[in-house]
Amino acid sequence: MTRAWPAVMAAGLAVALSVPPLRSIIELSMAWHMVFQMPLLVAAGALAARVLPERGLPAKWGSFNVFGLTGFMAAQGIIAYWMLPSAIDRAVVNPGFDVFKLFTLFVSGVLLCDAFQRAPMALQLFFIGYWVSMMCWLGIYFATTDLRLCNAYSLESQIATGWCLLCLGLLLGMVWLGSAWQQALKNPAV
Amino acid sequence: MPADRPSSRTPDLAVSDSRAQLAVDVASPAALIKTFAATTAVLVVALLVLMQATGGGQSFTTETLRRQHISRQAELIPAFDVTLGNGQRSTLKAVLAPGGKVWLVDFVYIRCQTLCLSLGSVYQQLQAQIEARGLQGKVGLLSISFDPANDSPAALADYAKRMGMNPQIWQIATLTQWQDRRRLLDAFGIMVLPAPLGEFEHNAALHVVSSDAMLTQIMDYADYEAALNMAASMAQAMPVAGRGPSAGVP
Repeated sequence: MTRAWPAVMAAGLAVALSVPPLRSIIELSMAWHMVFQMPLLVAAGALAARVLPERGLPAKWGSFNVFGLTGFMAAQGIIAYWMLPSAIDRAVVNPGFDVFKLFTLFVSGVLLCDAFQRAPMALQLFFIGYWVSMMCWLGIYFATTDLRLCNAYSLESQIATGWCLLCLGLLLGMVWLGSAWQQALKNPAV
Repeated sequence: MPADRPSSRTPDLAVSDSRAQLAVDVASPAALIKTFAATTAVLVVALLVLMQATGGGQSFTTETLRRQHISRQAELIPAFDVTLGNGQRSTLKAVLAPGGKVWLVDFVYIRCQTLCLSLGSVYQQLQAQIEARGLQGKVGLLSISFDPANDSPAALADYAKRMGMNPQIWQIATLTQWQDRRRLLDAFGIMVLPAPLGEFEHNAALHVVSSDAMLTQIMDYADYEAALNMAASMAQAMPVAGRGPSAGVP
């Protein structure tokens, strides 16, 4: 039971950020919204999948998800969608849409945890490489453009978000490299 | 061909027992075909959703989506009670209607020190061009304050004087009831954020509005000359009874 605590706490904090009084934090700061709450939701989904039987997915899912390819692709679609400035605006303005955000990003975390356990290194590298470069590029763009991309956030907030996103992208890359290194040590064949 | 793949792949994937187990279970030819179908379906759905959300891959921000939407489908601006710079109470409809003019509408607040000042100068140039090209009867300028709590008629009148507004061309108005503020901003797609020093940060643009209160185009301040030309040609094309020589088009 104690194994479930990290998932419960991550999910609880992420959901609390969408509900008053903490909601004002994500309404005011794009960085807290995009670089803290959204990744936290994905992490909560992944942590939950680790402790659930069959990683919380239907037993038949495996035969539609060889090497985790379908799961990666679905998570990829969800994450790409939530990188759109217009989608971020909508989640701030429209509470119903915010619930949709909570749900889809959590599900993407579940799918990713499952996909990583099925995927060979080459496929993991492909998707991780894509996300790291996307986050770094988007981060640098957010931080350096003088165009305000979200109507819901100030330019200042957008610039801070850009740098945070860049850091998160680099961190993600390093964490994956670290775990890949460990696995390679255990099993030189991979 | 894929029949012998599972066994040949298994040692590669044998990072831990559970991983090897997963790979053995799923990598049958049938599973590969199902995965291919599922991945393709997910990809198609994701692309459709993304295309839908970005107006066909063109608009990634709320602002560009809004502009794209309005230029395809004009929207009727609902009714509002407004107070003009001379203190006179009216409705937005009544302000827009006379003479079949096409209006360039923008949003301001009088205390604004940053963006609004540059917008003010754009409007001064527009006013000068309207005078120079003799478009007084065709194109009007309307600045609407979204800060009715602070912008009293006196403040509006003072602002009009500072900006050198010619009331025949350039009007300024604010909401009579501050409760209408949210509705007004939503109707035009403006989002206002509180900023330090009691200022506001907001998306700013030129809104082309016909005399029958249809919002037909939203354009950048930088393109103010194109906006003026568009408004002038719209006014030309509109058959309005009782307007002088330009009403000749059937």
